[in-house]
Amino acid sequence: MNNRTAPTDWKGAAMQARIAKRYGAERRFRLLGLAAVLASGAFLAFLLFVMVGNGARGFTYTNVAVPIDFAAMPLAVDRDRLSDPDAEQVVANAGLADIVAFAADEALGEGGADLISENAWKEVRSAILDDPELLDGRTVFDLPASSAVDIAAKEGAGGELGAKVAALEKEDKLSTGIHWPFFRNADATDPAVAGIWGALKGSVLTIFIAFLIAFPTGVLAALYLEEYAPKNRWTDLIEVSINNLAAVPSIIFGLLALAVFINWFGLCQASPLVGGLTLALMTMPVIVIASRNAIKSVPPSIRDAALGVGASPVQVVFHHVLPLALPGILTGTIIGMARALGETAPLLLVGMRAFIGDVPGGLCSPSTVLPMQIFLWSDEVDRGFVEKTSAAIIVLLIVLLSMNALAIYLRNKFEKRW
Amino acid sequence: MSFNPAALLLLILGLALIGWLAGRARSAMLAGRAQAKLHSRPQYHGWYVALWLFAPAALFLAVWTSVSPGLITNQVLATEAAQGLPEFGFERSAILSDARAVAQGKQAAVRIEGAAPLVRPYAEATRHYAWIGIAAMLALGLAGGLYGFTRIRPDFRARTRVERTVMAVLLLASLVAILTTFGIVLSLLFESIRFFQLVSPAELLFGTHWNPQSGAPVKDTFGGIPLFWGTVLIGAIIAMIVAIPIGMMTAVYLTQYAAPAVRRWVKPLLEILAGVPTVVYGYFAALTVAPAFREFAVMLGIPNASTESALAAGVVMGVMIIPFVSSMADDSINAVPQAMRDGSLALGATPNETIRQVLIPAALPGVMGGILLAVSRAIGETMIVVMAAGLSANLTANPFASVTTVTAQIVKLLTGDQEFDSAKTLAAFALGLVLFVVTLLLNIVALRIVKKYREAYE
Amino acid sequence: MTQDDLTIADPKMRAHGVNVFYGDKQAINDVSIDVGTDLVTAFIGPSGCGKSTFLRSLNRMNDTVASARVTGRIELDGEDIYAPSMDVVQLRARVGMVFQKPNPFPKSIYDNVAYGPRIHGLAPGKADLDGIVESALTRAGLWDEVKDRLAESGTALSGGQQQRLCIARAIAVDPEVILMDEPCSALDPIATAKIEELIHELRGKFAIVIVTHNMQQAARVSQRTAFFHLGTLVEYGKTTDIFTNPRQERTKDYITGRYG
Repeated sequence: MNNRTAPTDWKGAAMQARIAKRYGAERRFRLLGLAAVLASGAFLAFLLFVMVGNGARGFTYTNVAVPIDFAAMPLAVDRDRLSDPDAEQVVANAGLADIVAFAADEALGEGGADLISENAWKEVRSAILDDPELLDGRTVFDLPASSAVDIAAKEGAGGELGAKVAALEKEDKLSTGIHWPFFRNADATDPAVAGIWGALKGSVLTIFIAFLIAFPTGVLAALYLEEYAPKNRWTDLIEVSINNLAAVPSIIFGLLALAVFINWFGLCQASPLVGGLTLALMTMPVIVIASRNAIKSVPPSIRDAALGVGASPVQVVFHHVLPLALPGILTGTIIGMARALGETAPLLLVGMRAFIGDVPGGLCSPSTVLPMQIFLWSDEVDRGFVEKTSAAIIVLLIVLLSMNALAIYLRNKFEKRW
Repeated sequence: MSFNPAALLLLILGLALIGWLAGRARSAMLAGRAQAKLHSRPQYHGWYVALWLFAPAALFLAVWTSVSPGLITNQVLATEAAQGLPEFGFERSAILSDARAVAQGKQAAVRIEGAAPLVRPYAEATRHYAWIGIAAMLALGLAGGLYGFTRIRPDFRARTRVERTVMAVLLLASLVAILTTFGIVLSLLFESIRFFQLVSPAELLFGTHWNPQSGAPVKDTFGGIPLFWGTVLIGAIIAMIVAIPIGMMTAVYLTQYAAPAVRRWVKPLLEILAGVPTVVYGYFAALTVAPAFREFAVMLGIPNASTESALAAGVVMGVMIIPFVSSMADDSINAVPQAMRDGSLALGATPNETIRQVLIPAALPGVMGGILLAVSRAIGETMIVVMAAGLSANLTANPFASVTTVTAQIVKLLTGDQEFDSAKTLAAFALGLVLFVVTLLLNIVALRIVKKYREAYE
Repeated sequence: MTQDDLTIADPKMRAHGVNVFYGDKQAINDVSIDVGTDLVTAFIGPSGCGKSTFLRSLNRMNDTVASARVTGRIELDGEDIYAPSMDVVQLRARVGMVFQKPNPFPKSIYDNVAYGPRIHGLAPGKADLDGIVESALTRAGLWDEVKDRLAESGTALSGGQQQRLCIARAIAVDPEVILMDEPCSALDPIATAKIEELIHELRGKFAIVIVTHNMQQAARVSQRTAFFHLGTLVEYGKTTDIFTNPRQERTKDYITGRYG
């Protein structure tokens, strides 16, 4: 029976070499693991670096100092009408744009009007509406430069434009400041006045609708499935539906919304209402799954205790289980909402990719959302939009990261181990 | 007078609050007078009244909101001013909607000439039906509230009734998931069937030429193979070549080697990577990665190198999927009992041998399930491919060339100005159906595998 | 009874003044013990007394617990196993272990047994490996039951068979010591009897240390018995002496069933 030969020679040279080799493999494998982690980290760092590098400049803009002497070039407008509701239209009709262009030509030399943004006169207009006294004399306005000048001032440029910009810089006529229109305006074709406020408001309205629908529905469905649902085929069907919906590609929800909400119900296209409904359907399964996990982690002893003192099943759930599960539910909801906030694909199909030049007024007015604005700008030919796109990405990432950080904070703060 | 559903909803919510207060007060008073013990606490009587007030009114509001536009239009069409309208089609509906917009104050003036005479009838009809609607809603709500109010008695089982309603609401909420699933299936099927009346399913599934044109469908322009191949090349091949090794090794490192402090830092990092919106990945791929790859390909002398390459889209998509693969692998490896690891280590295996020869084989079913889910996610991903992979339907294995995918084509087909009924738009739904069926199968199989695997170790 | 009776002429393993800590908690307090080459040594004691912890420090399985710390000296053939020069991979090959719950790998029966020889490179060719597998399974008393289904999964076997497979897996590496951590606690009486029989047969070929909470089992299979209580070694001696004539009051109380 004992057919063992000589005992293993662990100290032998061959065995020692083999062990050295095995430890070598061990070290390499471990390094490979570290490399994988570092690769993810490096990619993230690179992505953020590129976005911040490109986008930081998108928050500032180059202004050109242009003196305008309204005493010499009077604006033919009735002073009394400057406080009318249609004052903007009145000033525009009075030919302010031409005056500003002329002043620019005069101040900056031949072709000076091309150096400032074609929308620069609107800045002058709002200044005038704020202070009609300006119309009496000569004022130096810091007007937004044209997109080409802005890029040339930030990155440097050769040729005629470069020389011109260098000359302006020498004369101290260029200044750089925070680009307020970026935070104040909606989309525009001119990077000098294009902003994210319209998209941001659209996002807020859309997410508001999505939350309003997905949160109660998701939590109530989770309560039903976890606490009351009988074990039968219907319940199984609901479970399978939810699990599959959570993994269905988001664009499918866009198709559903297009077919049902827009073509069948005829709801307002491209609106936060339809966008929000679409995202609600997409987020609800996520909320259900997160809520069920939170509810599951409430120990049965709490239910037994409440039932033991004569509470009805509904009272047990709403007085005890739900409050205890709420932190977990909220964490899951915030993460789901953050995902919805960054979503673009389904909204493309419900018309939210249209160019929207106004800040959306209500739930049914055409609007866009921040990720969509990024998508639209990324397609723009004008080079001025490159940095705007990255700047918008930075804003979006900051919003999303704060939401995720909040979720992680909630999870850590309220995480209970029963 | 306009019919504003949101404001009316607020109104009936306010009435319901009053009903709640009234019901609560009355039950308390009755109990006090009769010296009887209430079956249910006063607030349940309050809820009972409020529900009876709210539910009929809200239900009516929902119905009325959806039917009243039709009623209004019918009344307008019956007026003399509408007799001159064109018979059918786009023009007629354009004129009607223009007049409606003006009548409801959404628009300052008519844009189409023929709409002007319809504005007044529209405004009148709108006002007419708004009055009817509001009156009927209030009547229903008050009747319900009164009924509920009169039923309050000390021995009335208000709590049971209220709780039954709560249960019904919970059940309804959980049915939304089924409704959504049915909605997806039905809408995709319905539009796809219309598409397949124009183009045969065989052509979509097996045709090799994709070049849809507006207007009547031309033969051999709806061949889906190039799209399917592009989807597989980007989502199931290139992205997985990136995501599987890196995701697996990350999971292995984090579960087996990393110190707790490292884990604490790396996990949120992966969560950030997973939380970056796809549009950002897409922009990054198009702006930075794709040009770099193209230059590289040109340097190597590879033909057909495009700035919209399958490689750029696939690699970036792979990075996007890394956190997903790593967390699935993490779960699967953690689910392998510690005893397996101990058994191997106790035989003198190094950690690396233990991981590769015991843990990963043991975790393989779970890992495979996770990978299937990752593939399903990759082939359904839209923004990265729309922005970085391009739209030309090439049947090529050259990763530096431009290919297109199912999702990118759905977006392309549905954005643009075409009628909803054209073969092009319907094709998007047929592609959506294919995508849905494939991802559904992948998900079902994957979830089965993962579930079986979990059971095996429980 | 004198101390001399306890000394073993040529101990396979020798522990001296061993302490084991988990974080701040001390699990083993100053334990010294010798393990004889041709003997079966049983560790008994109430649950939580530290007998398993001590066993796991004999082949450095405690290394896998991040917070565990071992002080004192443990020797294998006179060599300090916690010395930096000691290679833990080799140590564990020489000091095999069988666990409380059978833990066959989810591989075929053949691959389970061949796993150790493969990683250590003990079999140059396929024929050698076949030989090692057959011999290990034979010695574990499993060969006749599984020789026709070596390709089947090890997890498909019954509990008792799985545990014998795990013993075969340990034997296949040709160890010098086999540590058994309550190897029968998850098994039914018939399977337990088979394992005990197996331990009898293996005695003399390997030094065997077995942890058990079953005193009858200790009495049946071992020649030396150590009684642990609250992390200390209360009494160590010939099994017959411990069970018939314990010197310590605590040992007596435990053996007579006062506590357990």
